[in-house]
Amino acid sequence: MSESQQDTRWQSQNPNPMAPRPSTFKAPDVLNYLCADCGAENGIKSGENIRCKECGHRVLYKPRTYRIVQFEAR
Amino acid sequence: MAPPPSAAGPSKPIARRPASGSTKATAAPVKKPPASGTAARTAVKTNPSAERSSSTTTRPLPITSDVKPVISNDTGEEEWAALMRQSYGAGKGAQYYAKGIKTVEDKWQLLPAFLQVKGLVKQHLDSFNYFVNVDIKAILAANSIVTSDVNPHFFIRYTDIRIGRPMRKDQHHQDSIVTPMECRLRDISYAAEIRVDIEYTYEDKLKKQKGILIGKLPVMLRSDLCHLKGKSERELARMGECPKDPGGYFVVKGTEKVILVQEQLSKNRIIVMRDPKDGAVIAECTSSTHDRVVKTYVITKNKRLYLRHNSFKELIPIVVAMKAMGVTADKEIIQLICGSDERYQEAFGPSLEEASRLKVYTAKQCAEWIGLRVSPGQEKEDRGQKLAPSEVAMQALAAMVLGHVLVRNMFFRPKCIYLATMARRVLMASIDEKMVDDRDYVGNKRLELAGQLLSLLFEDSFKTYNSDLRRRMDKILEKPNRATPLDASNILAQNGDSITSAFVRSISTGNWSLKRFHVERAGVTHVLSRLSFIAALGMMTRISSQFEKTRKVSGPRALQPSQWGVLCPSDTPEGEACGLVKNLALMTHITTDVPEGPLVDYAFTYGAQDINTFTGVGMYGRGVYLIQINGSLIGLTNHPKKFVQTWRKLRRAARFSEFVSIYMNHHHKIIYIASDGGRICRPMIIVENGRPRVTSEHIRLLKEGKVTFDHFLRSGLVEYLDVNEENDSLIACYEHEIEEGTTHLEIEPFTILGAVAGLIPYPHHNQSPRNTYQCAMGKQAIGAIGYNQLNRIDTLLYLMTYPQQPMVKTKTIELIEYDKLPAGQNATVAVMSFSGYDIEDALILNKASVDRGFGRCHVLKKQTIPMRHFQNGTSERTAYPSDPLRPEAYASVDKADGVTSPGSTVYQGDVLVHRETPIDTRGPMTQAAVFKATPITHKTPEPVQIDKVMLTEGEDSPLLKILTRQTRQPELGDKFSSRHGQKGVCGLIVPQTDMPFNDQGICPDIIMNPHGFPSRMTVGKMIELLAGKAGVLAGQLQYGTAFGGSKVEDMSRILIENGFSYAGKDMLTSGITGEPLEAYVYFGPIYYQKLKHMVMDKMHARPTGPRANLTRQPTEGRSKDGGLRLGEMERDCLIGYGATQLLLERLMISSDAFETQVCETCGLLGYNQWCPKCKTGKGIVKITLPYAAKLLIQELMGMNILPKLCMEDAV
Repeated sequence: MSESQQDTRWQSQNPNPMAPRPSTFKAPDVLNYLCADCGAENGIKSGENIRCKECGHRVLYKPRTYRIVQFEAR
Repeated sequence: MAPPPSAAGPSKPIARRPASGSTKATAAPVKKPPASGTAARTAVKTNPSAERSSSTTTRPLPITSDVKPVISNDTGEEEWAALMRQSYGAGKGAQYYAKGIKTVEDKWQLLPAFLQVKGLVKQHLDSFNYFVNVDIKAILAANSIVTSDVNPHFFIRYTDIRIGRPMRKDQHHQDSIVTPMECRLRDISYAAEIRVDIEYTYEDKLKKQKGILIGKLPVMLRSDLCHLKGKSERELARMGECPKDPGGYFVVKGTEKVILVQEQLSKNRIIVMRDPKDGAVIAECTSSTHDRVVKTYVITKNKRLYLRHNSFKELIPIVVAMKAMGVTADKEIIQLICGSDERYQEAFGPSLEEASRLKVYTAKQCAEWIGLRVSPGQEKEDRGQKLAPSEVAMQALAAMVLGHVLVRNMFFRPKCIYLATMARRVLMASIDEKMVDDRDYVGNKRLELAGQLLSLLFEDSFKTYNSDLRRRMDKILEKPNRATPLDASNILAQNGDSITSAFVRSISTGNWSLKRFHVERAGVTHVLSRLSFIAALGMMTRISSQFEKTRKVSGPRALQPSQWGVLCPSDTPEGEACGLVKNLALMTHITTDVPEGPLVDYAFTYGAQDINTFTGVGMYGRGVYLIQINGSLIGLTNHPKKFVQTWRKLRRAARFSEFVSIYMNHHHKIIYIASDGGRICRPMIIVENGRPRVTSEHIRLLKEGKVTFDHFLRSGLVEYLDVNEENDSLIACYEHEIEEGTTHLEIEPFTILGAVAGLIPYPHHNQSPRNTYQCAMGKQAIGAIGYNQLNRIDTLLYLMTYPQQPMVKTKTIELIEYDKLPAGQNATVAVMSFSGYDIEDALILNKASVDRGFGRCHVLKKQTIPMRHFQNGTSERTAYPSDPLRPEAYASVDKADGVTSPGSTVYQGDVLVHRETPIDTRGPMTQAAVFKATPITHKTPEPVQIDKVMLTEGEDSPLLKILTRQTRQPELGDKFSSRHGQKGVCGLIVPQTDMPFNDQGICPDIIMNPHGFPSRMTVGKMIELLAGKAGVLAGQLQYGTAFGGSKVEDMSRILIENGFSYAGKDMLTSGITGEPLEAYVYFGPIYYQKLKHMVMDKMHARPTGPRANLTRQPTEGRSKDGGLRLGEMERDCLIGYGATQLLLERLMISSDAFETQVCETCGLLGYNQWCPKCKTGKGIVKITLPYAAKLLIQELMGMNILPKLCMEDAV
């Protein structure tokens, strides 16, 4: 997880990049997707059917990132 | 025993569907009023006193809960009854008359009450509900029997049809409802099952079966079948739906589709017109029945009348046609057509002469004469025997000519009279120019809605389905020995999904291609525009015309006087579709079919005499009026006025549907009664004896929420008039204009505008094109689109961060609840020049305002990534790569699933999803499938935030949707507009320190150049500023409703009271010099919209970059990082100037220069110092030419053309 982004056009025009992100956070092995209907957490692995184990709803959302998010207030 | 299979079933001419099952049948006098709570809410919400610019404005009560206010229905009912007794019964005394003289205050309150039950999108819902509840049953009845051709003993008969509600069949769970939101997210269709009950022969017995699935019907949102119908705000929110969403569209494969209203010339009516070529008079009648749609013409040629029809090879003299249909006496013919009018008789003379010259006299002779001229393919064989010419002719005349006029038992009289009427109209028009009909008259138009289009589609696909069924049945029956007896229900179950796919295909492509009905239309459906709330609403009221856009005709595009009140005069696009695409006005309603059978009975009961018992003399006698119901002549009356009056009284007494219209045409001397669907109508207050029947007392009850619009309707205070009947009435616009003979009073003048034009404050002060411009721009404004906007995942969604409701609003804004979902902000505007960066409508923005959030918006974009399944069982997957090629691009991708997660920022080139596709998708599936990486990356240079990552099971494969988000501040070049068609781009963003300010220290958010005013003449904008300023100072919202609104004088008074100049001008101090400005500046708030055109989406430049493969020239378009084309005209300039080196550089060196070799001897291209033709390398020279030129040479050679390059000495 290096922060060495290649300089895009946008970055060259906006020379105040974000602070480097610490990489001390551990990535989770299984993600708990959230059911769009009941909000239950579902640990879906690849290849499994996409449906909530609690209510059978078929729309799941990925949870928010575990990484630190930092915005520049402008 | 099985009933005899009647082959006559389908072939029987069916003009109209049976009336059974109609909910809007004749006498349904007292409907139970719907819970009046809803009416009460709007009554409270739309603040009645605010309009009168009074000093005390009470804000509407906030609606805290979505529980409907409980109002006892009984009291309202009783009070209403008492009120009605007062005005009619014994209690009608002096007191009543004293009251009646008082003007009706707040009669506009009828408008919100109307919008509760009808109007805007309700016509879509009504039409769809009619299809689902009535029409589909009629279609089933008309196609109810499927009989086997092989063994007529076997048949399937449909007995009933039902449509369920959108449900999910689930193995593990109980059937659960499918919400529209789920369909949008999962890219599936919001559809309900169509189930039929059948009877069929099974081993010589009649077997019945119920509830067999034949297909799925897409369900219109908020219709009777939809789960959203009648739900409270809380329930809607639970389903992920916005309570302000109008509904009326479909969700097919996850996209929202609208079936636009289609405008057509009315069917089964005679239209007299001039031939565009030779100016001859033509009468045209498009007969539309369930079987076919045919056109019949009566034309004039050499002063003679002819019948023209596709069934006949040549023109048939009208007299011959009449004689063939049984009116053999010349005298009778001349009477039927001309009556006793000598002018007509004289004009008809040549036609009679011609018939006698043809030497056909009897009905038989005429029929034979016609029979020889029936176009080929028409004659049907009757059990192997060829029909005689006369029979062929009779068949064509009975079924094809004027097909909507029924011929029963060879009784041709009605058809004769109809044809005679057509001929008579032609004679009238050729004698008097003015008798030609106006095709553009709105009364001659019918609007086709979703229900009608779907019913057409269903009928077509159902017939196809049945013929498939018959074929399968025959196939099984043909087998000599079957193991099991034929079970028709099995065949039905296996008959495939043709109906479902027909619906889905047609709605998602918009192509209505029905061979059976000669319907071939493209672009019927559109994707519902969700740019803003107004864009979506505006789409629901849109009407598209069948006219070709390319034709340069002014007639259909022009504003028709009959459009008044039913079609918006302002809301039409500019350019090629101008005037062809229209929008409904606020109070318009479109009718659905009302069965006409009972109407005919009513007509005869109330004095009509059967037309078939009369000769022409009787029909065209003095004071005699014919009576036409839905295009068929049924009778005549000697007392037309009385007849019409009686009829209207019956309608006001709710003896039959309120949408049946009646009007007299004094030129035609016909009373027209119409009950067909697609007529445009609107409600009006009835005026009797010079006094409107609605009084303040009635309005009071309405305001208190005790009664609904329905009460007004069924008590005969208000009635619907269609455009034709409107033309037969004297309507006062305002109450003081009521005079003797006035029949109706407008409910409210501002309803002549539509929903989109209703947003404009003071539109009556603007130059009219400005209002039209605003109608187009209002749909591009960024704002809130619905309460569920953050739960939606749209391809492209613009949202405003801090939307505000306008300071100066209109009643329309409140009615359509634009103030709840606004698209714009109240900017303080100084009308002055500043810095020179404001020329050509550019605006100066205040940097501090921008920092505080003025014009800030979100841009949400969707990426859909389907995980495809392949034939051999392999499928795509997501995973984190073991050794990523560019590790830095995977910064936001999760190790667990190879997908980025919400909240992370993604830069150009970063991976969103690391998808892997199996290399082998055809061969047998192996254990260790080899995958290749097919990652999805972020393309644009600007970084985006990931807003949502959604996983779901789509229609046939898993689906991954990623929603990205950007927050954008206004920047140089972003487009803004006020509500008066005054658009401008941001020319400069100035620090607040440099902005001018007034004595209170108020700085403008926007500086607008005053040169925008003189030529545009948008006085409404000036008044908006004034009213807005007064509103700000007084702490209240002002109204700019069309033909009303807060008065300038009152506004000035408020300004003076608050110590401001009455003219709205302020003394400003320059922020740059600190000196007072030399002039007073017009200064105040104006509602500004940010439009979707933003520089960030358009800015583009390229030094060098990708090239197209084929021509090696730079690619085209911003999305492909393309070059900027130096086009033909630019090239012409350079040639004209003689800049050869620049030309060479632009067109070749910087584009597609290509070095190749040419043989000087033969002129062909060579390579490697070798000419393939001369077989030598002697004459080879090097040249540089555009690659496209080399390509052309080679392509020409491929076509056997030999281009040669002849060399000259070059420098």
